[in-house]
Amino acid sequence: MSDAPRLPGLRPTPPRLLQSAGFRFALLFIAIYSVAASFLVAVLWWATAGALDRQTIASIRTDASTLVERFRESGTPGLVEAIEERLALDAQNETIYLLVAADGRRLAGNLRDWPTAIGEDGTWFRTRIQHDGGVAEARVHRRDLPGLRLLVGRDESERVQLRLLLTEGVAWSLGAVLIFAGLGAALIRRALQARMRPAVATALGIAGGDLSHRVPLSGQGDEFDRLGATMNDMLDRIASLMAGLRGVSDAIAHDLRTPIARARAKLEESLNTAAGEAELRAAMEEGIADLDNISRVFQALLRIAEAEAGARRAAFAPLDLPEVLRDAAEFYEAMAEAHEQRLETDLPEHLAHVVGDRDLLLQAVANLLDNAIKFTPPGGVIRLEARDTGARIEVAVSDSGPGLPPQDRAQALDRFYRADSSRHLPGSGLGLSLVRAVAQLHGGEAVLLDAMPGADPPGLRVVISLAKL
Amino acid sequence: MHWLFSLPVSALAIIPIQAERPLRVTTDGAEYCQTLVLRLAASPNATAELPRFLGEEGRHLCANGRYRAGIAKLRRALRAATAEQRGG
Amino acid sequence: MMRILLVEDDVEVARFVKKGLQEAGHTVEHASNGRDGLFLAASESFDMLVLDRMLPGGVDGVRLVETLRQQGNRSPVLFLSALSAVDERVKGLKAGGDDYLVKPFAFAELLARVEALGRRPSSEAPVTKLKVADLELDLLSRTVTRSGRKIDVQPREFRLLEHLMRHAGQVVTRTMLLEKVWDYHFDPQTNVIDVHVSRLRQKLDKGFDKPLIHTVRNAGYMIRAEG
Repeated sequence: MSDAPRLPGLRPTPPRLLQSAGFRFALLFIAIYSVAASFLVAVLWWATAGALDRQTIASIRTDASTLVERFRESGTPGLVEAIEERLALDAQNETIYLLVAADGRRLAGNLRDWPTAIGEDGTWFRTRIQHDGGVAEARVHRRDLPGLRLLVGRDESERVQLRLLLTEGVAWSLGAVLIFAGLGAALIRRALQARMRPAVATALGIAGGDLSHRVPLSGQGDEFDRLGATMNDMLDRIASLMAGLRGVSDAIAHDLRTPIARARAKLEESLNTAAGEAELRAAMEEGIADLDNISRVFQALLRIAEAEAGARRAAFAPLDLPEVLRDAAEFYEAMAEAHEQRLETDLPEHLAHVVGDRDLLLQAVANLLDNAIKFTPPGGVIRLEARDTGARIEVAVSDSGPGLPPQDRAQALDRFYRADSSRHLPGSGLGLSLVRAVAQLHGGEAVLLDAMPGADPPGLRVVISLAKL
Repeated sequence: MHWLFSLPVSALAIIPIQAERPLRVTTDGAEYCQTLVLRLAASPNATAELPRFLGEEGRHLCANGRYRAGIAKLRRALRAATAEQRGG
Repeated sequence: MMRILLVEDDVEVARFVKKGLQEAGHTVEHASNGRDGLFLAASESFDMLVLDRMLPGGVDGVRLVETLRQQGNRSPVLFLSALSAVDERVKGLKAGGDDYLVKPFAFAELLARVEALGRRPSSEAPVTKLKVADLELDLLSRTVTRSGRKIDVQPREFRLLEHLMRHAGQVVTRTMLLEKVWDYHFDPQTNVIDVHVSRLRQKLDKGFDKPLIHTVRNAGYMIRAEG
């Protein structure tokens, strides 16, 4: 992790607080925590204060009903006496009564005045009451009787106490939440930064020009590992593209220079030694032919590079493979005939549609047929087949030629390989290399096999597999 | 700071608190002490041990100006007297 | 004889092409950048345009053709280009080009394509019969007869012959046949076309003493009545 090159100006500066994703996560964390805490408080309040409320209301209701009953039984004096008795026996000092006559005269109870601005008969309301100890809250119920108005209430100091308690609890817990969330924020931020650091260091190394850096993976298989793995895949791909590019430049350097040098030597030689115009003319024609050949090799190289880089995937389109192959077979059949060979085909009427590059596939198959015709002796048989193996589409070209020894096969797919036995035949030696590149571009591969295992000569069978749609 | 935290809590109260002046309670002064003493004296069982003891104490507290405590004691005396009456 | 506008920035290639086309009997105007080329093409009338795909001066070959086509100019256009990728060819043709030739090229190839493009039938009236000497090709019944005698040809041979006959008297190169008859845009590296043409030639000339399909050295093929 500490192997990141310390480039001046490229050092990763820790993000400013608000720009830090860790901090933002922490804020979110705080918010969620706060919501959860509020919810908890609400539930708590509902359960405790709510129960208390219900109890108080029930008690007031019963009390009021009993008093009304008492009034029905023994009239105003009875009611007054009942109220006085209740007050006298109220050891908890929590009951509140007020009975006034229709003219506002106070008959009984422990409130001095009838409160202003209260509702009709049956109203419930909460008010503040003042006694020598201070101000308390109370819940009051109003009942009207013939010629009388009655208030029955209960001191709710307990409720106030509870509220204070809860408020204090909330204050403490919110404080704790903030502290924990802040701590969590710092931890998350640190953890995030620690987990990001390898990726950042790698990216910096790459930006510094060294493509060999890879993100070290923690092995936890988490999101960061996945990000790192994705980055590494991307870097591998870039590296392989660069290698491909380098391969092309190497190939151009090594393998185009040779024919150019040869052509140049020939031209120079004839310039110095040619006896007459006819000889010079012949040399020039040969020079032009050499140049055409060089440009052909060049073109082939570019095609391979295009295919290897996957740059042509943009030109992919669904295509009817049997039709394309039938065309190619028909095209080469005339040539096989001219070589006294037979070109057989085994192509299904239809195949699952392949998405691909018609021109490249055609060129790959053409290269294979061309090779087969070139290497098969007269009287031989060349076969072009295609089939659906379930997972893939396979296209195979077999011949009855000399085949290729197994040890040469891997090499044969490389650029500019030419078996020693074929040095005398025309061709750039790029044919199989293009076939492989095209197969890989289509999500498959090219495999070389014996066409007739055990026979002599075994013949060569080249199988291109293509990914299905 | 308390009002801030009590906001969510008071918001849960269903019935609004009357915003007017607090209502004055009358059962917390010397006057009510006197009422209770008279009431206790009129009670048939005031002479029983517990009511009498509590009554004395209440009266004493009231005399010293500790009305709240005195009233509480007197009320308990009345309660005891009533219970005595019912039990007897 | 055609009046041809050549827009090509490479002096050597331009001189070579201009000289060759003039020797073939055409009049050639040359512009060395896209802007001059567009100016010439818009202000004078040409039978055809030969354009480099990449040109200096802000207006490249594709832009030039697009502009001309927008103005209603229908002159045939042949692109010359060092960009060989198939997508590039498609781009050039989409912009309104009629043919696309990749550098380096043999002059014979260029000349054959220029003449094939420049002498396209001007009327769009469908031709139903092609005739060269005593050889007749019926596009409706898809039959070939020579001196009234029916000759059996395969569908692809029919198309090959049709292409040759539509350009009777003109050189048709192997690459042109490959592109136009088979729609193949790569170099098969072998003489497959020659094999196909010689097969067709055998069928046509069998029993007749005058050959119709002629090989043009270093160029391609031509169908014409002898003499």
